[in-house]
Amino acid sequence: MGLSQKIPRLREFLEETIKILYYYRSRVIFSFSGVALGILSICVIVTTIDGANKKAYDIFEALGPDAIMIFGGSERQHTARVRITTLTINDADSLQTVGGIYDVLKVFAVRGLNMKYRDRKWQTQVIGATENYFTSYKWGLQSGSFFSSEEYDNAEAVCVIGAKVYEELFAGENAIGKVIQIGRLPTKVVGVLEERGGAIGSSHIDDRVVMPLTTVMNRLSNEKRYLGMIRLKTNRDPDETIEDVKSVLRRNHGIQQGAEDDFMIRSSKDILQFVSVISGSLFLFLGTAAVVALVVSGFVLANLFYLTIQERKKDIGIRRAYGATRKGILFSFLFESIFITIIGGIAGVLLSIALQGTFERLFDIPMVFSFKVVIFALVFSFLTGVLSGLKPAMKASRIEPIEAIRG
Amino acid sequence: MIVLKDIRKSYFIGERELPILKGINLEIRQGEFVILMGVSGSGKTTLMNIVGLLDKQTAGEFYFMDTYVDGLDDEALASFRNKHIGFVFQQFFLLPYLNALENVLIPMVYSEKQIKHPRDKARRLLEKFGLLERIHNRPSQLSGGEQQRVAIARALINDPDLILADEPTGALDSKTGNEIMELFGMLNEDGKTVIVVTHDPKLASFGKRLIRIEDGTISEDTTA
Repeated sequence: MGLSQKIPRLREFLEETIKILYYYRSRVIFSFSGVALGILSICVIVTTIDGANKKAYDIFEALGPDAIMIFGGSERQHTARVRITTLTINDADSLQTVGGIYDVLKVFAVRGLNMKYRDRKWQTQVIGATENYFTSYKWGLQSGSFFSSEEYDNAEAVCVIGAKVYEELFAGENAIGKVIQIGRLPTKVVGVLEERGGAIGSSHIDDRVVMPLTTVMNRLSNEKRYLGMIRLKTNRDPDETIEDVKSVLRRNHGIQQGAEDDFMIRSSKDILQFVSVISGSLFLFLGTAAVVALVVSGFVLANLFYLTIQERKKDIGIRRAYGATRKGILFSFLFESIFITIIGGIAGVLLSIALQGTFERLFDIPMVFSFKVVIFALVFSFLTGVLSGLKPAMKASRIEPIEAIRG
Repeated sequence: MIVLKDIRKSYFIGERELPILKGINLEIRQGEFVILMGVSGSGKTTLMNIVGLLDKQTAGEFYFMDTYVDGLDDEALASFRNKHIGFVFQQFFLLPYLNALENVLIPMVYSEKQIKHPRDKARRLLEKFGLLERIHNRPSQLSGGEQQRVAIARALINDPDLILADEPTGALDSKTGNEIMELFGMLNEDGKTVIVVTHDPKLASFGKRLIRIEDGTISEDTTA
């Protein structure tokens, strides 16, 4: 009955709760903001972890799940961001003979090249690659064609441009057959790549120009021997293939037993692992912050309630005299507490949506909002409300009307 | 309407029994206007709390509206109070965060009666008590007399059978106090049963029946 007697009067009850909270607003605001911050952190955790997983999946898809990449330079040099070229065209060719490898892509990239079409300018990386670049990455065209074997063999000045470069230089105009200036080399655009979206590291996936490896090595830079990266595909177990690749390269480079590799091998699996490490540390950091914020605001809420109960003894007394049951008082105090935390939770969700851009720049991970986030936030704020409101509400409900009225 | 048979109430301080009411026999009928008079410590407030179903006697039988109320649990008592009793207190006890109109509507939150258009009814009550221009004011913006009239309107909103007032003039000057007592007289003429508990001998003349409590027993019971 304690509850059922309320239901027909729910509207009055709700209005009253809002008035009470408004009256005690200076106290309410503390617990409210605490809950909002806690829920904000929870929202950021959930959306960022979802975002990180999505990003990992996208990268995995973009790189191809069966791909193995080899870079020049040892692990140590790589961490120090020193780029050492140790991989040669010869290495790439000898890897063709390793069992299970069915695709070898040679890449030599030049970063930060200036390019120009009429009065439009842009700066980006040019990737010199073998013809299998597009099939290896399963990357289609929105217009034009890939470069041909003939163009490759003759080191002709032709290029396929990424969607971002197309947007910057041509802004929607037809690009096929147009000549753009890359460095000092006038280059004919033969194709425009499909938009992929996303980024690997700091570079935008669609911000690239792909040219024949021969052209880049001979005409854009003066590099005849060394490659930036070799990308392999295998139909054997990737780990076994990696072992074979290692021994071929060590032999080619004449590395003594026990000495360190002068190259570095990465598979798509490593990237997934890397991303899961990032989201793990995010979870730990923000999770701690969220729990602390919620616990602190829960305590603040509980304490403020304790204080107000003393002040509201007469309020409780008069309500009991006019027909409120113990359960009714318990329910109304609990409702107040839950009301604060739920509103705080909703504010936290809205705040996280408003701050989405800032957080994405901060962590460099996209946030993915879903219904799950809202459920998470509401469940957590509800629990905070119940846990911090229960004890004060029980205390309030035990106050006898005569005791309250006597003061 | 109210029948008390040998009502006793004691408080216990450790092992020591401290008797407050020492056998009260009393009957109050529908439509009476009773002044329950006694000095502080006489037991009058304890008696009022028992009659108002806010406290329970240690021994004796208590019938309210022909119901033996002794066995009722918390919920039943709350419902009983809501249905049958309108309380008025010395300190008014209006809720500070509600305006006059909303304060009058408090009992409606807990009411199971089908009162039609409670807001209109609350407005009419306040108008009747000369507070029409005050309905949106908070208690802090009202004088003592105005606050007490709001409290009386609150006591009436749910159509109770009994108005139970504990020192209703105690916090008011004598002129305002007399106005409040006259208001109770008016309500009584409209058919409400009214019990006013007070220590103030000057209020004796407002009621139709005077019951004097001394040292936990009834020492005088006169009907005018």
